Amino acid sequence: MRNLAAVLFIGGLGFFLFVLFFRLPLGAPPLVAGAAILEEGGETVGAANLVTAVLLAYRGMDTLGELSILFAAATAVGLVLGRRQLVVSDPEGGFILRAGSDLLFPLLLVVGLYVILHGHLTPGGGFQGGVILAAAFFVPVLARPRRGLDHGLLSFVEGLAGAAFIGIGLWALFARDAFLEPLLGKGVLGHLFSAGTLPLLSMAVGLKVGAELAGLMTSLMEAEGRES
Amino acid sequence: MLPLILPVVLPLLAAFLVMPLARMSALIARALGPIVLTTSLVLLLPCCLDPPAQPLVLAIGNFAPPLGIVFYGDRLALLFANAVALFFLLFWDWRGGNPQQARQDALMLLLAASATGLALSGDLFNLYVFYELAAVASFGLVSLSGTGPALVATVRYLLVSAFGSVLALAGIALLYLQTGTLNLAQLGIDPEPLQGPAGLLAFGLMVIGFGVKAELFPLNYWVPEVYASAPARISALLAGLISKLAVLILLRLLVLVYGDTAAPQILLFLGILTIFFGEFSAWRAQDFPRMIAFSSIGQLGLVFIAFSLSGSWGVLAGIAVALHHLLVKSALFGLAHRWSGSLQALTGSAQRTPLAAALFVLFALSLIGVPPLPGFWTKILVLAGLAQEGSALAFTGLGAILLVTAVEAHYLFRFALQLYEKVENAPAGFRSFWEFLPSLLLGAALLAVTLRINPVADRLRAITQQAADRSFYITQVFPQAAAHRKDQP
Repeated sequence: MRNLAAVLFIGGLGFFLFVLFFRLPLGAPPLVAGAAILEEGGETVGAANLVTAVLLAYRGMDTLGELSILFAAATAVGLVLGRRQLVVSDPEGGFILRAGSDLLFPLLLVVGLYVILHGHLTPGGGFQGGVILAAAFFVPVLARPRRGLDHGLLSFVEGLAGAAFIGIGLWALFARDAFLEPLLGKGVLGHLFSAGTLPLLSMAVGLKVGAELAGLMTSLMEAEGRES
Repeated sequence: MLPLILPVVLPLLAAFLVMPLARMSALIARALGPIVLTTSLVLLLPCCLDPPAQPLVLAIGNFAPPLGIVFYGDRLALLFANAVALFFLLFWDWRGGNPQQARQDALMLLLAASATGLALSGDLFNLYVFYELAAVASFGLVSLSGTGPALVATVRYLLVSAFGSVLALAGIALLYLQTGTLNLAQLGIDPEPLQGPAGLLAFGLMVIGFGVKAELFPLNYWVPEVYASAPARISALLAGLISKLAVLILLRLLVLVYGDTAAPQILLFLGILTIFFGEFSAWRAQDFPRMIAFSSIGQLGLVFIAFSLSGSWGVLAGIAVALHHLLVKSALFGLAHRWSGSLQALTGSAQRTPLAAALFVLFALSLIGVPPLPGFWTKILVLAGLAQEGSALAFTGLGAILLVTAVEAHYLFRFALQLYEKVENAPAGFRSFWEFLPSLLLGAALLAVTLRINPVADRLRAITQQAADRSFYITQVFPQAAAHRKDQP
């Protein structure tokens, strides 16, 4: 019965996709919002990287939602795993692993911050840079499991970074009567100090994502250690 | 414009801050949630009691639609946003005492923010983001008890939900590929490209995706397990409120884009299957939370049947059924807090807690549709609409509703009689009426509506008139589109 349902479902979906393939305007889709943003995005927002302009300016509300989703996931994992004091049984890594992680830490930190701060100029931004930052802090934990990470500090950074994102939005709400409207002037297109508050928002996103992922991975590792 | 943005943003801000704050002062962290929700309520209540003549339309960040995201607050959206603040306050965990209280409060606030966003947003992708946020926050909340069954139910819910989300996203992508926009009003300006098979497929995918939370058959088999193992107040919020907000998205799509297509027929068909599945399963259920969980599936089937009716009648009937169910089902889950055991174990509960049993009877009568309770009027609206429709499928729906009403009456009365049976050792049940205060308040509200049914009906008609009017929605978001339209004969 279950197999039959699965076959029916896959068959139906396959049929739909087949029909769809011949009906869609593939290659030449209508671009109502997209074309307009391509046209005026650089001028209105002042960000050389239009993807960031869309993420943080035109659809900043979506980005706030995505941030909250990640936060909800991390919080739910924390709730399920509990937060007892850890007794990690994993042995310390060997010399090469420890030396490697020591060397990698500053490099990852610099790359992560670079990607975050240049989000409005080059490909990258808060989410991508934040993941690199998380790696920077998680790699040393892999090499020295006993040391762990300070969850209190992480949740502090996480909370304040999220609050900063909303705070910048509320600042615009009270200054210009529009939540998340970019402030501080556009500057010169392509300069580091341009695109108004977008780099600040990027920074908040990066710190939040970084702290969240580092905390999430560490909790998962600690939970694994407890089980074994 | 503050009532549109702050009720979404402030709970998010509080959710981010509640865990760092809890490290400094548990008291402040505990107070944060109720303060924020009360603020939302204070902001929204005037808009709901004395609605502005024109809907509130807000372009976030001053980016004019369709480039930016727009929030659209007509009477219906504001009513639901208001209900979110009100119901989250009613079912807030006032007692606390959980060692992970801060995390739990943060998830509640995230759920409240996403629910408000679902009511207010006028952009399809933004709605999807809020829908995802509601899903992820609810995963954490339904597994709160941490027992084995709760975790199993949560994993199942997570898998069904993730599957639905992927399909909904595929539907939205398909729609974007054909129209180049995600703004609901702009989709409504020129719905023609979407009324072909590819557009209907997009609608079907979105029905599956949003149908997971709306408890639509066959995507609802997570419902009974989750509602039976989650804390009762979380079940009350999910079954009462969040399911209605998922329905609201489908309603907007139906009104703006898919009104003239085969989409209503699909909904009617699925709705009939849903009420059959829900009510017959409820009839067989062995414990109280499962019984009302299945009954909630049946009621949502009724909502879908109502929305399939053409014109503003369908919208009126659907909203009436949805609001009635919001009130009644939340209240019933409020009782499930203590009545969580099997139905047998509850025999004779009326001896110790007569008030709770009386409340159950009141809600049961309204669910079945006994006049003069509001449930009667909502069912009559749907039945009359189906009779006017006249198609074979509509008459099938009419017969189905009458049949399952008999089933519904049977299992609800069976349980009511069981409650009033005389037994030696009556189960303890509630310690005081504080434990079911939300249900008591909702019961009072139900009686108030019964007594003042005419003003409520007038109010509802005004709400529906706005919500069912496609060109009204479009002209509110794009005033220039209306002018453009008038030029063309």
